Amino acid sequence: MAPRIAHVDDDLDIREAVECILSKDGYEVDSYLTMQDFINSLQDATKRPDLAILDVMVESMDAGLTAYAQIHKRFPEIQTIFLTSLGDMIRPYFENGSHEWVCIIEKPVEPKNLLAIIHDRLENTRAAIQTA
Amino acid sequence: MAIAEFSWAESKDQAKLPGINGNKLKLNDEILISNICWFIIFRWVVIAALIFLQILALLASDTLTQLGIVEQKNWPIAITIVLSLANAAYIYALDYCQPSKYNSPSINLWAQIIIDLICLSVVVHYIGSTSTPASFFYILHIALACIFFSTLESLCVTILVSAMYTIVLLIENSMFIPVPNPILIDDNLSAENLRRNSVLLWMFALDILFFVVWYVVSRLSLVVRTHERHLLDAYKQINQAQVEKDQYAVLMTHQLKSPLDAIRSKINLIKAGYCGEASPGVNDALNKIDNRAQSMSSLILDLLRLERLKDTCLNTAVLESVDIETTLQKSIEKLIPVANSKQVALYVSIDNFICKVIPDQLEILLENIIANAITYSHDNASVEITSEVNRLNQSASITITDHGIGIENKDLPNIFNEYFYSPRASLHNKASSGIGLSIVRIAAENNKLQIKVASEPDAGTSFTVIFNNIQLPTDKQELTDQLPLTESSLP
Repeated sequence: MAPRIAHVDDDLDIREAVECILSKDGYEVDSYLTMQDFINSLQDATKRPDLAILDVMVESMDAGLTAYAQIHKRFPEIQTIFLTSLGDMIRPYFENGSHEWVCIIEKPVEPKNLLAIIHDRLENTRAAIQTA
Repeated sequence: MAIAEFSWAESKDQAKLPGINGNKLKLNDEILISNICWFIIFRWVVIAALIFLQILALLASDTLTQLGIVEQKNWPIAITIVLSLANAAYIYALDYCQPSKYNSPSINLWAQIIIDLICLSVVVHYIGSTSTPASFFYILHIALACIFFSTLESLCVTILVSAMYTIVLLIENSMFIPVPNPILIDDNLSAENLRRNSVLLWMFALDILFFVVWYVVSRLSLVVRTHERHLLDAYKQINQAQVEKDQYAVLMTHQLKSPLDAIRSKINLIKAGYCGEASPGVNDALNKIDNRAQSMSSLILDLLRLERLKDTCLNTAVLESVDIETTLQKSIEKLIPVANSKQVALYVSIDNFICKVIPDQLEILLENIIANAITYSHDNASVEITSEVNRLNQSASITITDHGIGIENKDLPNIFNEYFYSPRASLHNKASSGIGLSIVRIAAENNKLQIKVASEPDAGTSFTVIFNNIQLPTDKQELTDQLPLTESSLP
């Protein structure tokens, strides 16, 4: 079964670009306009993604970070990547010691780079599950 | 149907600062404890002085008698013992006992004041309450109480001082005992009356002085405390404004950069063939659009970076011990794609050292200097990154040398100025925002680093960053191999 990826962004052009790239590579993509839409969708176990790509500033300054905290607590198995215009500039908003595991990609969407990171993240999860 | 009500009326209390109100301007426990410690140290000094005087009296009693200083009795020893025991008790109560209702810093301080006043009264009595200036030492206690206590408490101390001095005078002159026979007046009695009048005069004069001193010092103290509070409030407001300013800058950056990101994402889709095959002409045009959009994105992010670096001066940034080798590697890793696109080889040869800096800012500083070295190099050139560690004066330097277009002599003094624009540099690098070196300057200022620049037009430039007070790594691990970090050398 193709890995499922959720993407949350309030910019239609970015949503289209990500969906186009990932669908062509065989991923099943669910795009959401708001964090709340995405969090609501998690109630349905069949729609739960393997990986989530979150924008940071959707609706409010830190909606992405708040949503991340919630998702990480409730569904730690879902891998998360931030795709934001501000890139590394949002690092100060993370708590100390999180530099290693928080993956931040700066926009614009670059197909080769995005696919490599997603592939890498999903491979790591698979390897972790197998060793466990 | 949802209804929401909005109101933007400004709160009247918002800008109001606390007025002068003595009782509300009490010092907190933390400050009281630091004062207690200071008093204890001060008291140890007094105890040491008393012991020294007693030793001096023992060793040179004859000389002192000749000088007119009469050997005192046992009171200095008693005072020394009482003060020492009291000091030990204060320390014990402060450091080794759990704070409780009966063991608070305030009670500790009150105990100190009362015992000190009793000791001072004894000293005043033995030295001379009206014949020597010893009684003026009471004023010191009043002043300290005004500085460290509320107005009401300092008034209590003043009343206590006044009462103690009065008691000393009354005891000394037996004024508690009524005169048995006032009818018989002789010369002796008249002298006695004169002496009593003089004592009464001393009593009233000094008591009035005590209250005047209390009034003046407590007023001054209130003014100082009010200003201190105003400063604290202003500092809080500045910090709050800084946070809001940063949020605003982040929001603006995001709003400005988002449309560019959407445009560039679409360009990337076309370039990668997701929208069908594009002709070479279209691809060429897209590359040019992308380059311009990229410069604009970099400028927007650089502006945010610059704002954040400027804010660091006001906030208390945390300096950390940073391993220069790791930081340099991080900065270089980010720039490898840029170096590869220009076929510029990066040669790194450094001795590792540890410096106290703001980690992110050092990374930004090095990244900007190295990025500049690559940008202003000619294609297929090289950039050398070397270091020099001076173990004797614990300093080190990192030098980044390029063989590019160089900087003209007339431009060299201005390169760190904000938005300095050099047409020659812009001709070589159309994407120049002009704020890269301003960022370097502010990062260097915040981290107290010096920068030396040497340049020769058409020959190249070298930037040397000088670090003071460095430490050497304990494991003595050094990176001394010359590693050309180009695409070909990467796995």
